[in-house]
Amino acid sequence: MKTMLNSLTLATGIALLFSLSGTPDVRAAETATNDLPLPFPLIERFENFHVQDGMPTHKVHCVLRASDDKLWVGTYDGALVREDGKFRRIGVEDGLSHKMVLCMVEDKRTGDMWIGTMRGLNRYSAGRVTTYLQTDSGLPNNVIYGLGIVDDTLWVATAAGLGVLNLKTGEWTIYDHTNTTMHEPWVYSVAGANGRVFVGVWGSGILEYDLTRKIFTEYRDPDRDFHFELVHDAGPINDVTSWVAWDEGILWQSTYFGMSRYDGSRWRTWEEKKSPLVSNFINFIWAHGRVAWVGTDRGVSVTDGDTWVTYRANENGEGLAEITRPGQPVETRTMATKLPNDFVLGIWADDQEAWFATSDGLGHANFAASPKSAKVATAK
Amino acid sequence: MKKIFLILTGMLALVPAGWCGYEEKEETSINTNFIAEPISPQCAPAAQAPAGDYPYYGNAPDELLPYRNIKPFYQYWLTRLPFRGPGKDYPDPIGLKTLRIGLLSPPPYGPESVRGEMSKKGVMLAIEEANAARQPSELPFEVIEKVDSPQWGSAANIAVEFADTNALAFIGTIDGDATHVALRATLKTEIYMVNCSDPDPSLTETQIPWLIRNFPDNRQQGYLLARLIVEERGLTKIVVFRANSRPGRVGVRPFVDAVRRLGHPVLQEINFKDGDRTFDTQVAVIKQANPEAVVFWGNPAETGPAAAQLRAAGVKAAFYGFDRLVDPDFIKLAGPAVAEGATAAYPFDLEKTDPAWTNFVARFEKRYGMKPDIYAGYAYDGTQMLVTAIKKAGPNRYRIRDLMAAIDEYTGVCGYMRFDGRWDNIAPIVYAQFLQGRWHFTPAPKLKPVKTAAK
Repeated sequence: MKTMLNSLTLATGIALLFSLSGTPDVRAAETATNDLPLPFPLIERFENFHVQDGMPTHKVHCVLRASDDKLWVGTYDGALVREDGKFRRIGVEDGLSHKMVLCMVEDKRTGDMWIGTMRGLNRYSAGRVTTYLQTDSGLPNNVIYGLGIVDDTLWVATAAGLGVLNLKTGEWTIYDHTNTTMHEPWVYSVAGANGRVFVGVWGSGILEYDLTRKIFTEYRDPDRDFHFELVHDAGPINDVTSWVAWDEGILWQSTYFGMSRYDGSRWRTWEEKKSPLVSNFINFIWAHGRVAWVGTDRGVSVTDGDTWVTYRANENGEGLAEITRPGQPVETRTMATKLPNDFVLGIWADDQEAWFATSDGLGHANFAASPKSAKVATAK
Repeated sequence: MKKIFLILTGMLALVPAGWCGYEEKEETSINTNFIAEPISPQCAPAAQAPAGDYPYYGNAPDELLPYRNIKPFYQYWLTRLPFRGPGKDYPDPIGLKTLRIGLLSPPPYGPESVRGEMSKKGVMLAIEEANAARQPSELPFEVIEKVDSPQWGSAANIAVEFADTNALAFIGTIDGDATHVALRATLKTEIYMVNCSDPDPSLTETQIPWLIRNFPDNRQQGYLLARLIVEERGLTKIVVFRANSRPGRVGVRPFVDAVRRLGHPVLQEINFKDGDRTFDTQVAVIKQANPEAVVFWGNPAETGPAAAQLRAAGVKAAFYGFDRLVDPDFIKLAGPAVAEGATAAYPFDLEKTDPAWTNFVARFEKRYGMKPDIYAGYAYDGTQMLVTAIKKAGPNRYRIRDLMAAIDEYTGVCGYMRFDGRWDNIAPIVYAQFLQGRWHFTPAPKLKPVKTAAK
């Protein structure tokens, strides 16, 4: 009862506050015209962090919430850790191998954070940075585009091959064009799955590594031509993979030509103008449950493959939420807030919130507490 | 009741201070040793590239288009991909002493070293001329040269070094693998790349809007050869003899696809390794096929001896190849008698007499004591394009990109260039035939009429 009273008190206070201040932060939710439930949460409000708010640079490459609830942010000039509402920066002067942080992954068993930069791999452990370079370790190349941890192994997507570090033994294994089916060793991303690892390769589509059988299977664009998508829903949309993400049995592939989804038996593909996908140029995909968050150069989309919501700015700079339900016209809602920038480079999301790394700042999205929004499955 | 009062009072007190719901944001504290990236008060999205009806598929003839009897579900490169990120409104950096341009050169001891050296000469001549002509108020250009190593991925590290040295753009390179790797890094570093020498047809097919290439690629050269061999010369028994490398594999693909689409798929695609000097097995297999045409796709160090060994074995097929067949080493290693009649696709007539080219040749000879080749010429033109863009845009990588990406046509010392939806030069090229001790060039055919969003 006491808890209920406190909640009521807080809600009353907030409502009164908004009525007095006139802040229309929840206008989008209030102007809803379509009450059909969505298969994922709807963003109610963005809170953004630019240079003037503590970002060291305009460009923010990646964002990740660690298991201890700390937020990690990779920028053009170092990594940030958000603790108690403050950003603490870890830069070259702290031992980081290069200022440009492109990707991060947490080893949840140890709490170590692995940080990929444009020159070397770093492990942040207990306040200390240990670096791994191609000249002093088994790292295939210093430019690191993606990281993933599967069991006892760290998978490192580099400009010249896939490096796998055994975290128990410290032994490195390199996979490239000489010992896999990848045509070129230009690896962009890795995503762990149940007993498998999916590898996004620039020019070789997607490789699936079976951890038990220790074999690679490749998924390639069936038409093998970059000029067109001959038939849709036929396979990976293109062989130039910019990112892969996996959760609950669903594999998502992003490219600069559109995106693909594979559920183990059926491929689906999306292109701009022929689908709700807002742009073919996709930098990043984050999978959560059976939903994908898609970071493009024109905003963010969230979709389960059928229903889409895209958040972007219109020509006047106003924030929009464009909702596309199967068989229904697009519903456009204006929002009081918007992404820090529509060029989205990284995403982290769960059922409660979402964070966006963009070319001009870091964005935090609060979800609308709509009871009609179906809860996203969380089992990994 | 007292509790409610305190909460409301506390919250209302925040309103005048501009509270917007998250006080922790105002408490942000951070290190102040930020990078020197320019600070922008407002980061407006970059302007969209002009939406034109660009020549499709490298301006290929209709009969060479894949799946040409099927309407594809989706077509790319009908318009150019815009860069929608912020940056063009960033203020210019303060305290610049030079305008830095990166130059990614091939390894000095590798197969591309000679071409790389000629490219560098073209770049340096253009920079020297630009600096000599600058006004006192203008900053000089400075070339930051980085030399690649033959290790996979080295070019990616160098592309990052260009960012570290605040290069405004960079030029390079020749090897397709290295160029691809560097290009991928540019998407992260956002530094524009001008390519003047890589023939890899897939380079510009990756949808990275930070690249222009003025060098006619293997798509242009492969299509010309296919039509010449099959349609003009009526040869239908064709064998490909190529390097077992990525440039060989990827480079010859447009030719192989084209002759198949013309109804005459290659009989054999035989490989050799870079560094091989004897080709007994391959020669025996090719001889058995009794081809009418052998198409070489590799460097003269291998194709020269291979041609000589094929002739010695009695293979009478006509020899064809892409521009590297015109390299003096091919004639030297094959021998003039073996090379007699050999035909190559080539970007332009090296003996053309237009003033732009002849003046360039004279300046080049005066500076270096040697004649320029196509690599020097395209490097000079590419550098001139970039210099012009930097002068107009100022020291801002994003504005430089926007200007370079808006180029539809350019006429330089190498001649007329037309850029398609992927920023590839698709201007018509010529073919060269070795007859009686020298190469003879045919005039370029007229360009198929196309619409462009010309600037």
